[in-house]
Order: sequence, then structure tokens, then C-alpha cells
Amino acid sequence: MIEIDHVSQVFQTSARQDHLALSDISLTIEDGAFVSILGPSGCGKSTLLYIVGGFVRPTKGSARMKGKAITGPGPDRGPVFQEFALFPWKSVLGNVMYGPRQQGVKHAEAEAQACALLEMVGLKGFENFYPKELSGGMKQRVALARTLAYHPEVLLMDEPFGALDAHTRTRLQNDLLNIWERDRKTVLFVTHSVEEAVFLSDKVVMMSRSPGRIRQVIDIDLPRPRRRSELLLDPRYQKYVVDIERMFDDSGENEIRP
Amino acid sequence: MSTGRDLLARLAPLLACLGLLAIWQAASLALNNDSFPTALRAIEAVPSILGDKEALINILASLRRMAIGFGVAVAVSIPLGLLMGRSRPVASFFNPLLMVIYPVPKAALMPIIMLWLGVGDLSKTLVIFLGVSLPVIYHSFAGARAVEEKMLWSGAAMGLSAAERLVRIVLPAALPEILTGCRTGLVLALITMITSEMIARQSGAGNILFNALDMGEYDTVFAMIIIVGAMGIGLDALFERVRARLVRWSEPQFDMPLSFS
Repeated sequence: MIEIDHVSQVFQTSARQDHLALSDISLTIEDGAFVSILGPSGCGKSTLLYIVGGFVRPTKGSARMKGKAITGPGPDRGPVFQEFALFPWKSVLGNVMYGPRQQGVKHAEAEAQACALLEMVGLKGFENFYPKELSGGMKQRVALARTLAYHPEVLLMDEPFGALDAHTRTRLQNDLLNIWERDRKTVLFVTHSVEEAVFLSDKVVMMSRSPGRIRQVIDIDLPRPRRRSELLLDPRYQKYVVDIERMFDDSGENEIRP
Repeated sequence: MSTGRDLLARLAPLLACLGLLAIWQAASLALNNDSFPTALRAIEAVPSILGDKEALINILASLRRMAIGFGVAVAVSIPLGLLMGRSRPVASFFNPLLMVIYPVPKAALMPIIMLWLGVGDLSKTLVIFLGVSLPVIYHSFAGARAVEEKMLWSGAAMGLSAAERLVRIVLPAALPEILTGCRTGLVLALITMITSEMIARQSGAGNILFNALDMGEYDTVFAMIIIVGAMGIGLDALFERVRARLVRWSEPQFDMPLSFS
């Protein structure tokens, strides 16, 4: 369980002015839940994820994981970034083996696990490629495999599909759901796409910006396993999407687009 | 790809050298000046220098100083540059210092260093060290600073400590940039090697060159210039080979054609 407790975050802008990025955020994320943080750009949703990751320290408040205060990054929380952040000097296999090797897993064992993971994310045969030789979608698959490889309890996904084209994006959403439905890790998923959030999540945390605060938390009561072809036709899914979009529109934060 | 184009690409360096020599030959013939021998006469003088044991010992002594100066400079400069790139206090401490030293021609320090350390190997090696350090520090600094934050975060999440991140993420990620600095450093090592010997005449390739100049042996002067030039080309080619092997992962996949015809 992750508890975010009255977290505020103040940044200094380059003009040396204080900017309140997050204002008094409190949120509890249950184990095994797929939770999306949805909001317009600049609402601080990524910052909130970085605080849970331990990459950024909150100005006020605290975040806890399993009751213990988060003071820094750790292998129990695995990030997946929009920018992929792969190690370009390592092959695909080397990237995926990196975490386990760091944790002392034997080379042969780490390699076998990495190969299995790469097969799971659909990259069998690309083990010896370098990141620069891959497309964006493939890079993000490697990044996901690299993070899954060290068995984090929580996946922290920071607009992971934001840099991908629409087609690749839907394919990765489907694959992520398939993978997730097998072992149901806790996922904190940052996105600005309403459809993506509804399609994937158990819970959608709607944020508003300036300052970033939680507007509403919506439980997405749709059956799992979810199949895209069924879900898109499901009136309940459509209603969630329309309702959430309307809520953003009403507040004038209409740069949210499907 | 056409094999003709490949062949041309491979022969290009040779053609460039031959072209340069041809221009030299033509210019020398046109000027007809005693102090400017033709390329052919200079080349003819090369074997007698390389065949001379004394001269060979001198040249090897130069190369040894250069290797030590370059090696120590790289070993010190890369860690310093990387630290500066990732730590603001370290950067603000060293940056002004380096900005003062950078524009000073290192050979100009030679007379002062000679006063302190004598005319021996130590002074010359120190000057080479200074010449090589700055570009390597600067490029390591720039390379380390450009390393994507998220890459370091990914490492931190895997449990890498700050020191491990510096060695195992910042160093390899900045390596292409670091090696660009080392390549500049290598050329500067050669230049400072010769100029230090010009000032502290005692031994070395520079000593042969400037002694010959004093005595009006222009064939030898130009032969030495060819030898030094060849050393530069050889060292650079060797370095380039090592570099290409180390950072193959960062090389662009496609040539940028000048035209798409």
C-alpha cells in the first residue's frame, strides 16, 4: 500500500519565483491496484509519481510505502519513463539484465530470465540489438522488460506511451494489460489521455492544475480481463470517458483531448 | 553500395596526403628558395634520420614523455570532469580555475616550469599533461552534464549508489564526448611535446628539428616535419580505431549524403 500524505511541492522557476506544483495531495493506493493519474500538462502529475519513486523530495508532507517513509529510489518501485531512458551502450539483453545483475543474480540466470521477459514483451530475436537500432515502441517494450526484470512491487509509469504513435500505443496498452493481468502488480500510471486511463485502470485520479490538486477519484467498474474490442463497444466504458472529458471541459481545462 | 565508392573512401586519406605533397612540390619548385626544399628531397632525408640511432632514441624519448603526459592527464581529467558535470559545488570550484588556465598557451609556461623543475623529463611531461588536461576535462564535464536524468533515476531504482552511478552510468553514457576530448588532447600532446622541446633543448624530436633549423639543414627540418606529421596521423588513426570500438553503440546508423541524387 502506498500512502501519499498531504504532499505539496514548490519549485523555483528560472525567474526565481516559487511555483506551487502540487498542493496538499493525499491519496492511498491499494496493493495490486492499477491507478491512473490523469490531468492536463503542468498539473504536477509526473512530479507526484517522482515523489513516490523517491526521485523528488516533497516540500511538505510525506509518502509512505508499506508504512515506511519513502526517502529515496529503490528496487521495490520500478519506473518506466516516457523517454525510455535505456542504457544506449548496452544491448537489449544487457539492459534487461542490468537490474538483476546489480542485485547479484548470476549471469546465466539473469540472462535466462531476461530472454523470457523479452519474449513476453514480444522482442524475441532482438536480444543483441542496441537501443538506437529500435523503434520507439520497441524501446518502450525493452524499458518495461528492464523494469520488470528486477521484480519491483510497484510499477511507476510516467506517460510511458506518450511518445508513441496511436497504433503502437494501443498495441502496447493491450500488451501491458495482458502482462499486468498475470501478476497484478500495483501500477501507478500517469497519462493525459482519458481513454487510456479508463481502459487500463481500476481507479482514475483526476487532477487539476495551478496548483496541482486532486479533483476527484473515480472507480472504474469494468470487468477484467478487458479486451479492447469489447470494451470500446461497452456503453459503461463510453460513459466513463465522456463523463471525465466533460468534467475537464467544464473546468476550462480543455487541453485534455482523447 | 558500389564497390567503387568504397574503394574511393578507403583511398581518400592516401590521396589527400599525395595531394598535399604534390602542392608542396609545386610550391617549392615555384619559389626556388634554399630554405624550402622540395617534398621529394625532404622525403629522401627521412630514412637517414630514422636510421640514425641517436635520432631514434631522441624520438622515442619524446614519445615516452608524450605517452606518460597523455596517460596521466586522461586518468586525472576524466574523473574530475565527470564529477564537475554531476556536482554543482565541484563545478563552481574548478570552473573559474580552469577558465584562467585554459587560454594560456601551455608551452609559454615552460620557462617558468623549467626554473622549478629543471630542463629534464619532468618539466616537459608536466607541460604535456597541462596541454592534454583541459580539453579532456572540458569534454568530460560537458558529456557528464548531458547525461539524461531519467537514466540516472533508472539506475538509482535498480539500487546503484551515487558512486556506482557515476562510474557505471555517467562514464559510459558520456564516453563518446569524453573520447572527442581525448582526441583533441592527443593532438595537443603532440604539439606541446614538440614546443616543450623547442624551449628546453636537450633531447627529443623537437630538439632534432630546431637544431637542424639553427644549422640551416632544411632537408632535415622538413623531414622531421614529415615524421612528426606521420606520427600524428598514425596516433590519430590508432586512437580512432580504439574509439570506434568503444562507442560503436553511439555511431550514426546512416551516412548523411551530401545530396540525394
